[in-house]
This record gives sequence, C-alpha cells and structure tokens, in this order.
Amino acid sequence: MWRDLLERRGRSLLVVIAMAAGIFQIAAMLYKYALLQPELTTMYGRTHPASATITLDRVSDALIDSVRRLPGVAVAEARPVIVARARVGDEWVPAVLYVVRDFDDQRIDTFAPEAGDWPPGEGEVLLERSALRVAKVVVGDRLRVRTTGGEETTLRVAGTAYAAGMAPAWMEHSVPGFVGWRSSLRGTETAQIRIVAEHPLDEGFIREVADSTRAMLERQGHTVGRIDVPNPGRHPHADQMEAFLFLLLSFGILSFTLSAVLVASMIHGLMSEQLRQVGVMKAIGARDGQIAGIYLGQVGILAAAALVLGIPPGLIAGGAYARFAAGILNADVSHAPFPLWVVPVVVVAGFAVPLLFALGPVHRAAGVTVQRALHDDPVAPRARRGPERFAWLSRPLRWSLRTTFARRGRLALTVGTLAMGGAAFISALNVSSAWTRAVDADFARRRYDLTVTLAERWPTATLDAALAAVPGVERAEYWPGASPYLIGVNGVASQPVSLVGPTPGSTLLDPRVVAGRWLRSDDTEGAVINGAVVNRNPGLALGDTVRVRLRGRTVGFPIVGVVKELAPMPVVYAASSAVLAATGQSGDESRVIRVVTRAHDDAGQRSAAREIEQAFDERGIEVTGVHRMLDQRQGILDHLVIILTLLTVASLVVVFVGGIGLAGTLTLNVIQRTREIGILGAIGATPGTIARQIWIEALVIGVLSWVAALILAAPISYALEAACGRIFFKAPLDFHLSPGAAGIWFALVVVLASLSSFFPARRAARLTVREAMSHT
Amino acid sequence: MIALRGLTKTFTTPAGAFPALRGIDLDIAAGDFVAIVGRSGSGKSTLLNLVAGIDRPSAGSVSVGGTPVHDLHRDRLAAWRGRAVGIVFQFFQLLPTLTVAENVMLPMDFSGRFAPAERRRRALELLARVEVPEQADKLPAELSGGQQQRVAIARALANDPPLILADEPTGNLDSATSGDVFRLFGELARGGKTVVIVTHEREAVSGAARTVTLADGRIAS
Repeated sequence: MWRDLLERRGRSLLVVIAMAAGIFQIAAMLYKYALLQPELTTMYGRTHPASATITLDRVSDALIDSVRRLPGVAVAEARPVIVARARVGDEWVPAVLYVVRDFDDQRIDTFAPEAGDWPPGEGEVLLERSALRVAKVVVGDRLRVRTTGGEETTLRVAGTAYAAGMAPAWMEHSVPGFVGWRSSLRGTETAQIRIVAEHPLDEGFIREVADSTRAMLERQGHTVGRIDVPNPGRHPHADQMEAFLFLLLSFGILSFTLSAVLVASMIHGLMSEQLRQVGVMKAIGARDGQIAGIYLGQVGILAAAALVLGIPPGLIAGGAYARFAAGILNADVSHAPFPLWVVPVVVVAGFAVPLLFALGPVHRAAGVTVQRALHDDPVAPRARRGPERFAWLSRPLRWSLRTTFARRGRLALTVGTLAMGGAAFISALNVSSAWTRAVDADFARRRYDLTVTLAERWPTATLDAALAAVPGVERAEYWPGASPYLIGVNGVASQPVSLVGPTPGSTLLDPRVVAGRWLRSDDTEGAVINGAVVNRNPGLALGDTVRVRLRGRTVGFPIVGVVKELAPMPVVYAASSAVLAATGQSGDESRVIRVVTRAHDDAGQRSAAREIEQAFDERGIEVTGVHRMLDQRQGILDHLVIILTLLTVASLVVVFVGGIGLAGTLTLNVIQRTREIGILGAIGATPGTIARQIWIEALVIGVLSWVAALILAAPISYALEAACGRIFFKAPLDFHLSPGAAGIWFALVVVLASLSSFFPARRAARLTVREAMSHT
Repeated sequence: MIALRGLTKTFTTPAGAFPALRGIDLDIAAGDFVAIVGRSGSGKSTLLNLVAGIDRPSAGSVSVGGTPVHDLHRDRLAAWRGRAVGIVFQFFQLLPTLTVAENVMLPMDFSGRFAPAERRRRALELLARVEVPEQADKLPAELSGGQQQRVAIARALANDPPLILADEPTGNLDSATSGDVFRLFGELARGGKTVVIVTHEREAVSGAARTVTLADGRIAS
C-alpha cells in the first residue's frame, strides 16, 4: 500500500497538495471564526456599557449619590465630556475627551491601560489606542486642542487606553481620549451622568428609568439636555461586526464546499487510474472487501498527509487574519483561549470528506471484472455519444475534446471545483462593488461639498458677505435645523433625530424616494423621513404623523414621503418654514451652512474649507466644525473596510485553492492520458502539437467553468448583497453583478488553465514515445 | 534502407544498469520482409523502438533511408516518423474517442501530407485494402481485436511510408486472425514496403524473407 503510493509519488504529492489546500482553507476559516466570533460578541458587554447617558447643566457627587438611589438604577457615574477639536497637520479634527473621576475605579464604559502613563496628569491626555493614527501622534507627543469658545491648549499624550466599547477612532474620523478630574481643560466640559439600569438589556425598562431620572433631576432644579439610550447590549459597530461575521461564515461555507469538491475531484482522479492494479489483485485472488480496504487505506494515508501539511499553515493564516481583523475592529484576540474544538473538527472533516468521496470509485473499482480491469486500457473512456460530436473541429482537437467530454464525471468535478472557486471569487467582488456603488449613489444625491457649523447663530447677510470673499466658494444655503427627540411608539422621547429644513426648491439634495414624494417648494407642513426613522419606528408609514419633542413641546409633521439613505442617523426633512416655526428660529440667522465649492475634488474641498475658516476667523465668527462630503463618504467606506478586506482575502484564497485544484486535476488528466499521448507521438505528432492540444483542452475546461461560475455567482451574490445590506444599512443593497469581476475571473481562468496545463503538457511532450507508451 | 552500426541501449533500473542491446550491426534492404525473433527480454522490441525513433540509443547509430534517426531533434523526429515510418503495436493503440476513419486520418493531419479534402477518401481506400471498409464510422471499441489490428495497419499506411514496423502485431490475436495479419504484411512487402516485424511466433515467420534472431542483446543468427 505504502509502496504503491510512493511509486506514484508525483500523483500522490499532487493529490496531497490539493487536499492540503482544502484543509488549509477549512482550518483557517474555522480558526479565525472561532477566535473572532466570541470576542466580537462579548467585548462590548465586558466594558459595562452605559444604559443611558444624561446630559445636564452640572453634576456633583451628591447628585450622583441620589441618582444611584433611584429604583432601577444599578450604577451611576459622572463622566463629563469635552467636545473639542484637535490639530492634525493643518486641519482641525473633532475630538471627544472624557473627564474621568477615578481611572482605577471605573464602573461604566470601562477602558484599560494600554501603553504609557496611567492615569494622565493635569496637562495630559490619554488617547484611545485607535486614536493615535487619526491624531498622527505617538505617546509623549503634544496635541493641540481647541475647545468650544475658541481656546487652545496643548496636551501631552501621556499614554493610550483600550476602550473596547467604543467605535474605532479611525472609522469615526475623530480623536477620543480621557483626561483626569484635575485636567487643565476642566471648565469647558458638558456635564453627563451615565447610568446602568438593573435590567441593562431591556430597552423599555431603561427608558422608564431614564425618564424617572430626568424627572428627579428636574425636581432638583437641574436643566436636563439630551438623554441618549444606545441600543442595549450592542456595540456601536455591532451591525458592521455582524455583517463581517456573516460574510466570514458564508465564505467559510463556500470555501468548505470548494475544498470538498476539490478533494472529491482528486480522489476520483486517483482512483480511476488504479483499475488495472485492481484487476491484477483480483486475478491473484483478492476479494472485493480486501481491495476496498487497500484503497480506502491509501486515501486515509493521503488524507493524513494533507492534514499534517494543511493544518499548521491554516492555523497560522487564520490567526494572522483574526488579529488583523481585530485590529481594524479595535477588538483584541491576543488573550483569546485557543479554541480546542477546531483541530478535531478539521481532522474529522479531513478524513471524512475524502473517504466519503472515495467510496464511490472504490466500490466501482472493486466491483469491476478481472477481464475488464486487465483490458488494454481500462481507464479509456467509452465514447457514449455518437462519433459526430465536434465533427466541425480539426481531428486532433476533436480527439482532445471528445476525450475530455467522455470522462464526464471527471469533467464535471474539475469544472465544478473551478466554478465553485469562480463563483466565490465573483461573488466577493460583486458584493464589494455593490457596497461601494451604494455609497457612491448615496453621495451623488448630496450636491454640496461642505457643511460648516458655527458656535452660534449669525445673520445670513454677514455670512454671505464673508463667503463672498472666499474664491473657492460657489454658493451656500442656510437650512434651518435642530436635534429634537423622536417620540417613539411608547410616547417616550429619547431617540435623537435630525430635523432639517432644506431651502424650498433646493437642488443640493435629491434623495432617493422609496414611498410618497420628496418635498415641494409649496410644502408648508409635510415631512419626509428617512429609512432610519422607519427602522426605529416600524409602524410609521405614509400619511402618519411623525412626532418630535422640541423645546419642551411636541411637534407633529404629516409624512408625505420616505427616502432611502445610507446614513444610519434618523432624519426628518420638512419645509424650512415649518422647521423655523417649530424651532422658533429666524430665517435671517443660521449656524449651519451648506457650501458648494467651485472645485469638487479633494484638494478643492480642502482649500475652500481652509479659506472659509480663515475668512470667518478674521470676522470673529467661531467655527466649530467643517465637514467635507468626501470625508464623510470616506468615513462610510472606512466602516466597510473590514468587510471589503474580508471579501478580498476570501477571493484571493479562492484563487489560490482553485488554482491548485485546476493544476492538480489537469495534471492528473494529462498523466492519465500519457499513453495516448505516446500513440500520437508514434504516429507523427510533434511535441508542440501535443502541448497545444492539452492547452486548448485546459482552456475549454476553464471557459466551461467560467460560464458555470457566472451562473452560480448570480444567486450567491444576490443573497449576500441583500443580507449584508439588511444587516448593515437595514435595507438590502441594490443587486449588482460587476462585469469587472466576471472579466477578472475570466482572465484568471485563462492564466490558471494555461499555467496548469503548461507543465503537464511539457512533461508529456518530453517523454520519449517509448516511455509514454509503457506508462500505466 | 536501414543501417544499424554498433547499436547499444542500456536501461538504468533500480537493480542497476541493464544492457538491452550490445553493439548491433544490421543492414536491411528496401523491400525486405524481416522478422526479428527471440525470447522475451532478448532486446527485439528495443531494437524496433530505436529504428522507429521511439527511443534513443545509448551508443551507435541508426540510419533509415539515409536519415540519421539517432541524431534528429525531437520535433524533426516526430515529423520524420509521421512521414517515413508506419508503426503497428501489439495492443492496437487506436484512440478510443475517434472513429476508425478518423484514427486513420490522424497521421495525415499531423504530417499534412495529403490535402484535407483527400484524406477521408484515402482513409476509406486503406480500410478497404485491409478489408474493413464497412467499419469506417464506428468507434474502435465496437470492433473485434482482429479488426482493430487491421485498422492499426491501415493507420500505419496512412502517409504511405516506405517502412512499416510492427511490434508483436499478433500477440493479442487468435491464430487464424494472426495468419490473416501476417499475410497482410507479406502483401505490403511484395508491394515494395520494407516490413520489419518483431514476434515470437515461430510459425508466423515462415512468410518472412529473412529472420534475425536476438539473444541477450546480440544477434544470434
């Protein structure tokens, strides 16, 4: 048994390598999933996330004590927040600094020391570890910070902390950090109380507790601003992580199928050429069971070799990928225990799949008669269809193709392996391109370049005059707006929502209407809501009234339309007159400016933003933020990075495994036909002619698999795109098949087919005719 | 026609070097019908392979019709073989997925010797000559062993080569069919072809004009 495997060591090696590629993929997939899945689902809970954050005028230790005593409140902690901007290069980036009472006694939204000093001193700040690359600093550097009011302070970056419950800074394009209770920045903060409710996963309960806390605070004479109740138990990026894990699992299953088909194909190829030996063994008296035992034993040995070869690199690659993904998601898998179940599962699959697929051919081989097995060319296919097939082709090609098509099971497996790989590859690119298209389409509907936010309201005439002096600005619109609370089905107002009143007839916004209509210039009271509003209030529909709590009053707007936007923030668009009436603002003043720049590219937006800040600065108009649309677009794409890299890695692995699979099956194909190739040589075919036949054959197989891959990829892409969109954007992505993906896979198939037929073809052509013909 | 000088072939086997042929000198004239006989392992098939350019000598030279076969490059060798030699094997070696006529036409495709339009007509003529014209559009598997060997002979004649080499052409046939096949070779020789047959069937040799006996890689008689 061993000797047989060794004598055919070329073939055995090929089968082992192809199977090892499959094992590699399965091991890597299971391992990374096993590392990431528990971490991503539990990391948020471990930080004791706040059930609600209450913004108020001031806070004292005595006040915290009385909040703690309220029924339903488990923990309460003061954590004031300083909303500022940090200087990065020549731009100001939003910064959010939390004032921490006691770094060593955290109870809510905890974070852990990572590097440098702990806790930070008076003139120091501790940055969240993912903020370093946003702020472009290292520990020990100085960071310039401008707080509301325009004051600038320089803080030393004392160290870093790891806050697993926060969204990674680089995705948010902001600099989160922590300062001490005696920080030099004290006095600029907004007071906040965080509470954890006794039932921290019960949103209704949390809202009741938050409401009774508000009532208590107001009774004590405090002014309560906003109350934020995040989705209980869900990391701010839970959607992203779920989409990621979903895709990880989906492509894992696709890869597993690919690997199984690959293994099946190799085993089938290996077994079908053993027939003659079976005949010999039977002739000397071997029973069917003994023969089956021998061959299943051989398959077992090959499977074991593939496992030894495939598992270690699979675990290494899976671990590396898990660490990489964890880095992007600001998770930490370095302390995760080794998932003990992974290796046994891979081992069982590694034996079961090949043995299962070997049963068929072994059964057939064992059942074959001695006479048939010993016949001249037992593996020679029996042409099943009439000889008229491919009659229009040249005879050598006809031979080649008929031979290919005669081994139908073989062909189906080869084509199937490649088609699986192709489908996975194409689907990965399709999903990836559907995401980016969705983002691009969304941003194409916002036709302004900058949103400038000011510290206070200014007369629009003054702003117009200031902007007129900026050459990079084409025009600007002043849309009244507010951030009221959406009143949910339970009548509690605790979901912040943006209320925006675009200028009547404005062309700067052209959202995609999914129900009803967009605002008209003659609208006076109707409102259009976006999908995020509907998602949080599933009952809301056209003709209903959307209610918000604004300045202590409840204002309702009849819904005239629903628009689809990628932004996860709920937005209510209403006629600007209605927004002005509800907010009590004057249309002659504004603190938010939508600017259209002359040049819409990155450089144009950047220079206009700088010029505006400068022009406003000279006139004493304080700017609190300039948001560029290209940054926002990038921000959304950054949230997708992990998903796009996952898809890219998945497609590359597929190319790798599929390539090995194709090379393996084609090589086996050629090896099995060595003798026929010898005959061709004997009757005058030159090595070049022979090599060309084999190459064309490989191309035919490649093109067939490409067509099959396209057919397979459509439903897979459809399902993945719909599911991803639902998880991430709460609406399916528009179905998209990327012609580029199909084209790239075609090119890859041609290259793979050429490469993997080149070596066996050259080998076959180089054999002397005698060697080829004595080949069994 | 064929001139072999000091022809030596040594195979390297796991058990050590095995000399299959040890310095053969042999001349065969055009139109000869030669039977090479000898026991299994005497080197007769090796000799045939070297003449056909199917294998390369370890030393010595092979000249066929003035062509130094041992010296030809791989591509030239294949082209020469297609044109100048017709080979018949013990196991027929027809391509199973091509029809009988297509099998016969294939050498013509490779050598480009006859115009494409002419090839089928010629194949049918050759099949008629070996007495299996009615099998032209069948697949080899549908034919009997004797019929397959006739097709193989027709294929060997496809490019009208001056030299026909046959390696145990009757080894897989019953004695009546064997007789027919030998008669066919005799006719070819009488028609002007040089025919060299490797065989161990003594009685079949009677038809041959000349017999060369090999033993342990040398010419015994």
